[in-house]
Amino acid sequence: MTTQGGALGLTEGGASGPSRPAGASAGPGIGDTVERFELEKAWLVDPVSGREGPGEIVVTDGVLESVVWLEGEEAKGVSDKGVIVAPGFFDLHAHFREPGFEDAETVATGAAAAAHGGYTSVALMPNTQPALDEPGVLARIRSAAAASGSPVEVLAFGAVSAGRAGEQLSAMGELADGGVLGYSDDGSPVKSAKLMRSAMLYAGMLGLPIVEHAEDLELTAGAEAHEGYVASVLGLAGWPAAGEVQAVSRDIAILTDALLDEPRARLHLTHVSTAEALELVRRAKARGLPVTCDVTPHHLAFTDEWIAGSRRWAWEALDTDGRPRDPAGRSRDPWADGALTATPYNTSLRVNPPLRTAADAAACLAALIDGTADAVATDHAPHTAVDKEVEFGRASNGISGIETALGVLLALVDAGKLPLARAIAALTTGPAGVVAAAGRTSATSAARPRGLTEGAPADLVVFDRSDRWRVASESLLSKGKNSPLLGRDIPGRVLLTIAAGRLAYEDPSACEE
Amino acid sequence: MTTVASAATGVPATGIPAAAWHHRHLIDLDVVTWPEIELIMRTTEEMKHVLARPIRKVPALNGRRVTTLFYEASTRTRVSFETAARNLSADVVSVSTATSSVTKGESLVDTIRTLEALGAEILVLRHSVSGAPYLAAEIFGGHVLNGGDGWHAHPTQALLDLYTMREHIPGGDLHGRKVAIVGDILHSRVARSNIWSLTAAGADLWLCGPATLLRGMDRWAGAWAGGAIPGHGRFNVTSDIDAALRDADVVMGLRIQRERMSSGLLPSLREYSARFQLNAERMSLAKPDAIVMHPGPMNEGVEIAPDVATSGRSVITDQVTNGVAVRMALLYLLAGSHDAAYEPAHEGAR
Repeated sequence: MTTQGGALGLTEGGASGPSRPAGASAGPGIGDTVERFELEKAWLVDPVSGREGPGEIVVTDGVLESVVWLEGEEAKGVSDKGVIVAPGFFDLHAHFREPGFEDAETVATGAAAAAHGGYTSVALMPNTQPALDEPGVLARIRSAAAASGSPVEVLAFGAVSAGRAGEQLSAMGELADGGVLGYSDDGSPVKSAKLMRSAMLYAGMLGLPIVEHAEDLELTAGAEAHEGYVASVLGLAGWPAAGEVQAVSRDIAILTDALLDEPRARLHLTHVSTAEALELVRRAKARGLPVTCDVTPHHLAFTDEWIAGSRRWAWEALDTDGRPRDPAGRSRDPWADGALTATPYNTSLRVNPPLRTAADAAACLAALIDGTADAVATDHAPHTAVDKEVEFGRASNGISGIETALGVLLALVDAGKLPLARAIAALTTGPAGVVAAAGRTSATSAARPRGLTEGAPADLVVFDRSDRWRVASESLLSKGKNSPLLGRDIPGRVLLTIAAGRLAYEDPSACEE
Repeated sequence: MTTVASAATGVPATGIPAAAWHHRHLIDLDVVTWPEIELIMRTTEEMKHVLARPIRKVPALNGRRVTTLFYEASTRTRVSFETAARNLSADVVSVSTATSSVTKGESLVDTIRTLEALGAEILVLRHSVSGAPYLAAEIFGGHVLNGGDGWHAHPTQALLDLYTMREHIPGGDLHGRKVAIVGDILHSRVARSNIWSLTAAGADLWLCGPATLLRGMDRWAGAWAGGAIPGHGRFNVTSDIDAALRDADVVMGLRIQRERMSSGLLPSLREYSARFQLNAERMSLAKPDAIVMHPGPMNEGVEIAPDVATSGRSVITDQVTNGVAVRMALLYLLAGSHDAAYEPAHEGAR
């Protein structure tokens, strides 16, 4: 089968496994080895070699058999605005809710959603019920992943503390033996600074990072939204930037101290959302500290004014020169300029850390571009309607975002704010680097170089950058329909995701061709 | 003199076409234009005439069903709404959390669907969580009238405040008149709704209280400092009580709650009173004919001295009376807007 620019199909080659999506007359089903797939004249992005340009790929028997870069006449008509091939994405931060909250998501539905988003590897957070604080829970997640039939690689972080209670260390060594990528009490910070110091030392000894949700719980008690203009007008209890800055500051201080005893101690700060906390990370990196961090698509693209009913992208809330309106960092006023178009207090916007100002979003973007932020992680947090169809202040925190991350980043690319190659790197080599830098990589393939490498198992995503798709309850494969983008068209329809040589997702419309 | 409804037919005969009112719900004043506020003021005037009659009842809402759903303890606001509805001959159903399935864990959404199935047409909602009426408006097929939500909004209070001020300010025009609101601004939905209406009225608005109870308000005032919002003026935020009261035309006190001490926002009620209480000495800074207001319930001796609360300057009981008239006006206008095309609960910027 030979395919050009968007007309995709896997109708030849056939399946090697039993599962096959209903309605598909031929071709492999989810989880089947992709026996033959050729794509002519697409835009290839290889973040490992740093190369992007027109090219062709061939997958045979699940292996990326050839990657050909086109030049001259052959390359004509191929642009980076059409069909794009990139290595499969790796999400450092997702919640698949199993075990314990299967109404919100399961490993199977989460993996399907991930593949729809272009992801071939995901790292799950341990705030399940029971918490992933001992290897038995990890085994349970692994067996659910295997049973799902999805080839998406499901990895996990173990809890820092037993039961995520913040009092005693979890079974860290046993979890390391079981193959966790590191440790996090995500959903909460590691509550005690004293335990954090022990955790950094012990995890460092095991060659694994601590992944921290940075929040000073005293400063944020009862908080509903970022403390600022919007929260003041809406009468929402404020989550001050200081709540994150203080926690990041604490963690960097503890890391500095821990490194004196255990040079392998490492800290990864997840979903950093404020300009000032990112500046702390920037300075820590400049000092050579082993700190990494990620930012989320929603903190890059949405702002607190969305809670008031605005739906413009974060960069559109700044002045036309892309800067805040005044030295205080204020964005344009949504109450003054007609930006309020949606019902306020939409609970899909309740997330922790909260959506912040346009200036903070711009700082997240600047951090992503200058490398202060190593990766974009989704913090995919699906919730049931029961947990979201309530008063704003009573809604569960979280955005279902693993299927829209690519589209949000492409909106940034389309707006000229982010180079395409940087966006792809932030979804591939960036997160792989965070995991690889920990030193203990044998347990996982997530840290493998995520490039378009001939002879390696095919692990890639094909998407059409200019094909916009409608985010809707029906189009999201996640059980979590809690997306602020519902009803909106976003760029970058994913046509095909191949994980470890096996079919992870195929767009239904591409299937028909 | 015009009347709201002819007693004979029950048909509105006011010269106020119901069609002039375009909002299906009233949740906050941010989306209400100044002409619409003036319409409310005129309609309230009509309702005041009704209240002046020996029999304070007109058939304007005869057979219409008004349900009050209160998730917070409230006596005066609930009684005021229910009195207003009955004055218009509406059927009133009263639901409060102490007696409903809410205590069994029923969600707001389910409760509202149930009340709608039971025939509710106009829902008056009081809720402790900011923004709750927008959720109600999304699922309720009738009209939602906000009776106060969290720290966010209390539009009928702000409108009765405005009406009361206009009654007492010579000429009835607040333009350039200094209004000082003193107390716990941070947690006050009354203050927030008053910001929209009083800046739209052109008043010189001052918000005053201890710095801990003004959190975030400076950022709001700063955002508006350049006169950003069309139709709204800037306002001032200060902890300097003397500056706030000096030459004020209107002084409004807000309730100070005891839990502000336990949550570390205030050292003591004694210290609050010493620095911010509206007492006779401080009131001498205001204009001699300045009026004193309070949305109630009052802590006399804390945020306001008893002699100030009961002085000749106090219009606090007028606020209560006007509250019924304003709520009659809003029930009347909302009920008449039922033919209006659907509008989103929040229509965006003016």
